[in-house]
Amino acid sequence: MLDVAREAVDAARTAGADFADARAGTDESESLTVRNQEMEGIDRSTSSGVGVRVLVGGRWGFAATSRLESAEIERTARLAVEIAKAADRLPGDPVTLTPVEPARASWRTPVKEDPFTVPLEEKVALLMEASRQMQQVPGLSFAEAGLDFFRRSTWFASSDGAEIEQVVTNSGGGIEATAVGDGDMQRRSYPNSFRGHVKAAGYEHIRTLGLIQEAERIGSEAVALLSAPDCPSEVTTLVLDSGQMELQIHESIGHPIELDRVLGMEEAYAGSSWLSPGDRGSVRYASDLVSVTADATLPGGLGTFGFDDEGVPAQRVPIIVDGMFENFLSSRETAGVVGQTSNATSRADGWSHLPLIRMTNISIEPREGTLAEIIGDTDHGIYMTTNSSWSIDDKRINFQFGCEQAWRIEGGKLTTLYKNPNYTGITPEFWGSCDAVGGAEDWVVWGTPNCGKGQPGQVGRVGHGASPGRFRNVQVGVR
Amino acid sequence: MTSGSGPAPPGGSLLGPDEFRRIAEGALSISGADGVEVLLMHEWGGLTRFASSEIHQSTSREDTGLRVRVANGGRVGVAATNEATPDGAATAARSAREMAEIVAADPHWPGLAPAASTPVVDRFFEGTAEASPATRADAVAELIARCDHGCTAAGAYETQAVEVGVANSEGQFCWAPSTQASLTTVITGPDGGSGFAEIFAGSTDAIDAGAIGQRANDKAAASAEPRALDAGTYTVVLEPAATATLVGFLAWVGFAGRAYIEGRSCFEGKEGQQVAAPSISIWDDGTDPRTLGLPFDFEGVPKRKVDLIADGVFRGVVYDRRTGKEAGVDSTGHGLPAPNPEGPFPLHLFMGTGDATTEEMVRSTERGLLVTRFHYSNIVNPMESSITGMTRDGTFLIERGEIVGPVRNFRFTQSILGALSSVSMVGRDAELASEFFFSASRVPAVKVEEFHFTGVSDH
Repeated sequence: MLDVAREAVDAARTAGADFADARAGTDESESLTVRNQEMEGIDRSTSSGVGVRVLVGGRWGFAATSRLESAEIERTARLAVEIAKAADRLPGDPVTLTPVEPARASWRTPVKEDPFTVPLEEKVALLMEASRQMQQVPGLSFAEAGLDFFRRSTWFASSDGAEIEQVVTNSGGGIEATAVGDGDMQRRSYPNSFRGHVKAAGYEHIRTLGLIQEAERIGSEAVALLSAPDCPSEVTTLVLDSGQMELQIHESIGHPIELDRVLGMEEAYAGSSWLSPGDRGSVRYASDLVSVTADATLPGGLGTFGFDDEGVPAQRVPIIVDGMFENFLSSRETAGVVGQTSNATSRADGWSHLPLIRMTNISIEPREGTLAEIIGDTDHGIYMTTNSSWSIDDKRINFQFGCEQAWRIEGGKLTTLYKNPNYTGITPEFWGSCDAVGGAEDWVVWGTPNCGKGQPGQVGRVGHGASPGRFRNVQVGVR
Repeated sequence: MTSGSGPAPPGGSLLGPDEFRRIAEGALSISGADGVEVLLMHEWGGLTRFASSEIHQSTSREDTGLRVRVANGGRVGVAATNEATPDGAATAARSAREMAEIVAADPHWPGLAPAASTPVVDRFFEGTAEASPATRADAVAELIARCDHGCTAAGAYETQAVEVGVANSEGQFCWAPSTQASLTTVITGPDGGSGFAEIFAGSTDAIDAGAIGQRANDKAAASAEPRALDAGTYTVVLEPAATATLVGFLAWVGFAGRAYIEGRSCFEGKEGQQVAAPSISIWDDGTDPRTLGLPFDFEGVPKRKVDLIADGVFRGVVYDRRTGKEAGVDSTGHGLPAPNPEGPFPLHLFMGTGDATTEEMVRSTERGLLVTRFHYSNIVNPMESSITGMTRDGTFLIERGEIVGPVRNFRFTQSILGALSSVSMVGRDAELASEFFFSASRVPAVKVEEFHFTGVSDH
């Protein structure tokens, strides 16, 4: 397939491209879902093709095709050039790429046990047993368990001479218990909501999850929520578990630091950012307990790779240092605006899409204490766990999150269980109120395999290392 | 295959029903299967994306997907490939058969769709399927030309063609092509104003880029220097794009058959009851020429009109074959590609029109807000049909029947059925309007007497 990428680059240059890169690739996936010990779905998917990106007179063009015969590759490359030339019908500043040393390399996710070769019978048996264990709980309506495996093989070539082969493998699994009664529905998930815990790893990750061991507890918690009172509406101290911190980081830090959003390139769809290009080093984003890093070298992260889809090597970049904003996520096109070179965050949703700035692994650096110690150190407040819903405005300022369950904290102890908890806030105020970040003991590398961005829509697979956290004066119980 | 130095064709061309039949035969002819279904989705198109009044990301894509479902005694496996050949179909079928062999039988397996004729709907426009990058760029230039000095436009102009076919071992064979053109923009001004406008159509002929640009520009100019207003309960006039958010999420939490038969729908126990104002009627109809899409679903079942809410009374939900069997009714033609644990979904929603203009709704409002659209909404409590989200790109204060100025964006947290029960006026014109997460619905503007805003933003 590297030959296909090279052929596309050569065809683009012949058609008049000043610069070209191409990604030939194959995506493979396997997904299994069991519900109440019945097979809900089992499917495998493969998709192959090539996408070629060109610069002509400083304007981008991109075209992709699933047909890999030479004539079609040539047509696609010529179409990319035509698209770039059409962009010149409007005035605009030409794109300038920051430099990168052309790499000739290969990289693959470290995998101990290829998830695609583990027998289907074993996977189905795991899910059936997890579902059966949940169904032991009286009053539970639905006991669902699922596994997802994904492998992306990419062959990258550029007119600068780069030739890179990469294989990224992801494995994930989770369980979900749903209780329905008296016009109410309550849900508990483990290890996290929305298909569980996905990591850059092989099937060995699934073996660590404890889906069967935790099944009965999760089922019991779902049923218990049915008879719990609603989370009250008040301004209070809020403690979040690591799983909810993941999405809090994703939505209110990860997206606003994308330099393409800051420059208005996503304005019409998902929106822009409350940050400005000149804010590096001068804006207080959070309290001094909060340090955040973008690290594409983090073991197990969904945003971990050898090279991004522009051939830039993976990096570890400080984003927030002791509460101060330091760096954006950038690409070769955008980095020059802030006087830098790309920090390797340009990734595409497979061969058929143009690379965009995407989060790598955006993680809060661990500080001190376990979740239990943070709760024990809290006199009054609410503890929320496991995301159920999210919403944030077009500049990533005003957010509202829902969680699956909450507990009242009184005198350092969890007392009353609440259902339907949610909270709202303003990004810099909320992060500025953070007065506890948990330590390495409860720091988990989570995966978000469903991050939407761009037009046409792309799905990004990104990671977040997160500890539990505590925030003061937060509005909870919005209704 | 075209080659040489002339203009490159913008994408694919129709495979056609005969070629689809030939490809599908590769899967339908495998041995050792009770039932085989082949779903073809061949799509191509281009998108010209612009920001800061420059074209910055333009793409073209062609892909052909096959999704093969194999059933043996109620044991079902599914495999997908984009190798659109008889061999590719056969390989996918064997993989699906292997999966079916190791799973337990689905007690609700309804079997594959029987042979049936499907409605004839002509929604394929060659000019749209062949739209060139230059055609889209010229339209974008026309839109941007409507920006006032100091304003900039962002957005996307997309042209798409798709052919979908379903063939199965029960003898069902259906195939249909369609095209779609959509132009969306947000125009922003130097003083914090922003305006939104969009159009969806089956053909590029219906796209008036200048009119879309003018509409967004006028909104941006009118929404400059928005003032802060307290959150609270307001009367609102929702333009069609905002109405589409309510209707789209109501489909998610209420109209999907699986949630309904499992007691998880917001309509649980409400069949035949008044759930909205008498002026509200909502239905799904994939055969209506005023919407986009195909005349059959992804299981090969013919689409038909389904009344969901009629004169404010809840009438029913949509089904695919599996949920239809569970409910003891026929599929309504709303199946999604297999496997689909979420169940059926209405993709062609309509809300009935009334007799008011938006101006009349504003004139009748003592104090309230005019909302252009909502942004990034999501579910708060599905069984209460409550959602949260933000206003965006043009929110205005109404006082004594007049728009008195722009206001900063609000967060709302609101029951959809609560809002629809509070509707006092319905617009006389409907338009296809998108929702961030869903397909476009054809809906009018509505006036809602009580709508709950629970927070404010800084812009």
